[in-house]
Amino acid sequence: MTRAAAPRTPPHLGEQARPDGRWDEWIKAAEDPGGVADKPEALDDLLVLDLSHGHYGALLTATYLAELGAEVIKVEPPGGDPARRWGPADASAGGDGLAFVAEARNRYHLTLDLTTREGRRLLKGLAARADVLIEGFAPGYLDGLGIGYRQLSALNPRLVYVACSAYGQFGPLAKNQPPEHDLTDQALSGLLHLTGDPDTAPVKVGSWISAYGQAAWGALGTLAALHWRERSGRGQMIDVTGAEALMRYLEYSVLLYHASGAIRGRTGLYELAVFPYTFVPVKDGWAFIAGYTDPNFRALCRVMGRPELGDDPRFNTTLQRTTLANEIQLRDEICAWSVNYTSAEILDKVLADPGPGVIVFGPMNPPTRTLTEAHWWERGCLKRLSDPIYGELLLQMPAWRMTGTPPRLKWACRPAGYHNSLILQKYFGIGPSRAAELAADGVL
Amino acid sequence: MTIPKDYFDWAAKLFDPSRIHEKPEALAGIRVLDLSVIYFGPATGDFLGEMGAEVIKVEMPGQGDVTRILGNASFFWKNISVAFFCANHSKYHMGIDMHRPEGQALIRQLAARSDIVIENYKAGTLEEKFGLGYRQLREVNPRLIYVANTGFGQWGPFSKGRASYDGLAQAVSGLTAITGEGEAPTKIGNYLGDWFGASMSAVGALAALRWRDRTGEGQFVEMAQCEGLVRAMDWTWLYAGLTGRDRQKVGNGDHVFTPSGVYRCADGYVAVVAGTDREFHGLCRMLGEPGLLRHERFATAAARRERASARAMDAKLAAFCGPRSRKQVEAAARKAGVAAAPVMTAKDHAESEHLRARRSVWEYEDPMYGTMVEYGPAPKLSATPARIKWAGKPVGFHNELVLKRILGLDDARIKALEAAGAIGRWTEGRRGAGPPEGWKGEGRLV
Repeated sequence: MTRAAAPRTPPHLGEQARPDGRWDEWIKAAEDPGGVADKPEALDDLLVLDLSHGHYGALLTATYLAELGAEVIKVEPPGGDPARRWGPADASAGGDGLAFVAEARNRYHLTLDLTTREGRRLLKGLAARADVLIEGFAPGYLDGLGIGYRQLSALNPRLVYVACSAYGQFGPLAKNQPPEHDLTDQALSGLLHLTGDPDTAPVKVGSWISAYGQAAWGALGTLAALHWRERSGRGQMIDVTGAEALMRYLEYSVLLYHASGAIRGRTGLYELAVFPYTFVPVKDGWAFIAGYTDPNFRALCRVMGRPELGDDPRFNTTLQRTTLANEIQLRDEICAWSVNYTSAEILDKVLADPGPGVIVFGPMNPPTRTLTEAHWWERGCLKRLSDPIYGELLLQMPAWRMTGTPPRLKWACRPAGYHNSLILQKYFGIGPSRAAELAADGVL
Repeated sequence: MTIPKDYFDWAAKLFDPSRIHEKPEALAGIRVLDLSVIYFGPATGDFLGEMGAEVIKVEMPGQGDVTRILGNASFFWKNISVAFFCANHSKYHMGIDMHRPEGQALIRQLAARSDIVIENYKAGTLEEKFGLGYRQLREVNPRLIYVANTGFGQWGPFSKGRASYDGLAQAVSGLTAITGEGEAPTKIGNYLGDWFGASMSAVGALAALRWRDRTGEGQFVEMAQCEGLVRAMDWTWLYAGLTGRDRQKVGNGDHVFTPSGVYRCADGYVAVVAGTDREFHGLCRMLGEPGLLRHERFATAAARRERASARAMDAKLAAFCGPRSRKQVEAAARKAGVAAAPVMTAKDHAESEHLRARRSVWEYEDPMYGTMVEYGPAPKLSATPARIKWAGKPVGFHNELVLKRILGLDDARIKALEAAGAIGRWTEGRRGAGPPEGWKGEGRLV
């Protein structure tokens, strides 16, 4: 058989372009945290109503959109969102809870009592023009007030309406559902069942992670819906639960059960898929270490000064290394070595190894130690600001980097109703005297 | 609080799962070229695919993505690891060797016809080694949105030479240090940094798509796994900034909501939390101790957060849950308006009528793998519901379909590319890469 001629390709696609300058320098300049304000915002044509009320997942959904440029109006009851009280007992900022102050950023704060007729009339006036509305009330509560998706979509068919709840808007368990909490979300999701040691109670993730996941899905659904709206002209309703948000992150658990009847459980510091992939003690605390493919494991043995472990019949294949009895012995070997060095000393050894193979290593940082590392500050991942109302604040920054439309922090949380006069004037032409009447009537 | 009687009937009709496949898809017409491996990358593509994008997954011919063989204690099912499927639904599978110039040229051709490219190699690798970096691909497609997922980011002190896995992101972000109790670390049981990061990078991709819808401009979007977890630690940083201290580890307790705990039942564990006064009142009713409310140790949220009060309540809840089944506790809590939830296992998920009715547990029939039961899309969209169409397929399974349909190549050119080693399929006998044993061509498309 004769070898066929090499395929022809259009010339500009066959040749690789030769960019000027090193990639890391170019991308650093293109993403420069100091230059963010000079660039446009991806979502700055959107009006979003944040009706989260004691609901962190709904609050965060709006936060992500606000970071990406949307104008977000947070609608709170006259006394403020109950989430304003959420925070640890031993610290607060301007009298508000730290959990709220940390995330209620970039917003316009409007108070409206939605249980009053006038409050609902104003809300409808905003919803008629809004692109997105986000809420976390009990399913059907706003519908009962006449301002749910059923009613608002008649007023504004282009509206994208996101409803966050514990069990969702439909399904056998939707009626009479209890309030949503992170811990119960983690339980329902199955993540709780996977975390911790097999012979003790399961352990939850330390932050309110279900709310962050719920918000990621809420924002993803919203942006997909907005793309579709460009073509169809129509909005829609989006139903997101914190439990299902995390459940989608559980990999193969339910397929494994379907395929084998096995129930994935807790494995503590061991790991059924890959090993070594674990935490080990070091001289100055704990650290994470991994090298699970054959070349990576050999690299780890080399760095440990124990090359013979790479040929040890207990450990010399991935299959052998993922047998629980062998995992325990192997981890013991690594611990006996790691405990003699600080995490910085081990990282030096890891980075000095010429290869082949790659070892993944890093300290288990208490947050205050993460704060001492230059990396996060250089990249603008964290920021200290001096806020005129809330004082000195240290906040985590938006998660994405974008060369064209970078997300940003504009201002921190503001008190409830801080922007009442601006919003009333801008959207309703209501001036100070009418606003005072509304306040006196308890609407604001 | 009055919920209209017909609300749930209306919502059930609006979201009717039996009509999902009749409805349009939000991202129909958007093409995603997925060059990534393992989870933090393929999952980004998968999430866009669930919303209707056409996702072309490119793998190295022969063995393909390592998740085909990594999995649960070396368990193989139908000749593949079950770990592969969760990040690879409804994709078109191509085997292209990026090390060969002809393979690189093919990827450039596909990128020229795509809307979004996703990769998760170490920073700079695709540009320096393969000529497929952002600066090169935008030359052939100025509207391109290029999504790069990494551990530490494209630049900065830690991005040089340091690889990352999910576990490392948990450790260096500080999340491990605020999880669990005591000094020893608790490793989070799933690859949380991969999955949360992947859903966030899909959000970034769609924000960029909206900008492109408005202006026609593409851009580079990056998401770093470690930064994703730093972002997701609520008040940790604000607290450290104000006090100079690390927040205390409280296990299954909560700094804000007390009581909060996980309790052993007759048939497993149940999580119980009461946040507001109203919920706490319900809890007292559930425990049969309405008088607790008048006790000064429990009368206010602040009092309930005191260590002694929290301990006392913990003991009461443990005693209440101990002899009861998870269902009994859940039912009692529901009646009282309290959040209590069983710690669900995969078996519980598979058997849940609720999750199945919501397609959060999604059963479907695949021509190659038969009946599949997987986690379905998380957000439910009423007009353009997300969906699963088919299961992941062998390496290079759709080579011909994609090359003919999108690039218009004929059989002779496809054969030449195969002969040159630029494209390929699975290697026979390689576990995970090829079809199940006994496969007779079911699902073949060209």
